[in-house]
Amino acid sequence: MSPTAFGVLLVVVSTMVEGLGQVSLKKSSLDTRRRLGWILLGIVILMVEIVLYSGALRFLAVSTAFPLTSLSFVMVTLLSRWLLGEEVAPLRWVGVGLILVGTSLIVAQA
Amino acid sequence: MIDTSTRLRDEPSYDQSCAMTSGARVPFRLVIGLAVAIALDTGLQLAWKTGIAALPDTSSVGETLVAIALDPIFILVVAFMAAQLVNWLKVLDQADLSYAKPFTSLSYVTVCVLSVLLLGERIAPLQIVGIIVVVAGVWCVSRTRRTTLSAEREGE
Repeated sequence: MSPTAFGVLLVVVSTMVEGLGQVSLKKSSLDTRRRLGWILLGIVILMVEIVLYSGALRFLAVSTAFPLTSLSFVMVTLLSRWLLGEEVAPLRWVGVGLILVGTSLIVAQA
Repeated sequence: MIDTSTRLRDEPSYDQSCAMTSGARVPFRLVIGLAVAIALDTGLQLAWKTGIAALPDTSSVGETLVAIALDPIFILVVAFMAAQLVNWLKVLDQADLSYAKPFTSLSYVTVCVLSVLLLGERIAPLQIVGIIVVVAGVWCVSRTRRTTLSAEREGE
């Protein structure tokens, strides 16, 4: 695997980890008996995300890595559906798709 | 269970909320929470941008960490992160994660605009297209139901 491909893989994994962290934070408001536990788990997961993303920057330029982080909007939506059982209406998917494209366009130039 | 009923009672009545569509009314508190999340995210990213640029040029990890710990901008970043977390948890108490998270993409727009206004960066035509596309995307999400888990919550 080339260093660039490895860097891209790390960023993609970090967006999945972001999704897991966000799911954990949302769990804290659904499972209120274990609220603090979910919050702490969420914080730890989000710290792992920072480490993974920083690692990715050893293999990728920021101008490549940053647009890829827009994938986190898709990951969060997928995991909200799979792990939390939220209903994602078609219009919400359209919105997430537009956001993925739009945020990539904004940061690709930066 | 007890918690759920408290939360329902806290909910603002219909005339206090702004109706986005029939069936999707958004409490004022949630609108404020999302706006604060975007504002904090923007502040965080701008502070980060200026903080990174100001760091001394050294290859030593230890020296970099010490410089970070002593830099007031990074203390500010940590404070912003803490405020961000507290506010975000309040937002998630009131809406689906898949509803709330897309709104934070507006911080890409505010960071871009403020970088032009405050940091004197130039904006590219494609970035303007991106801004319009993001706003359209958030508008789509805002037309969907903000919470789909209430039945599950009541069943707990």
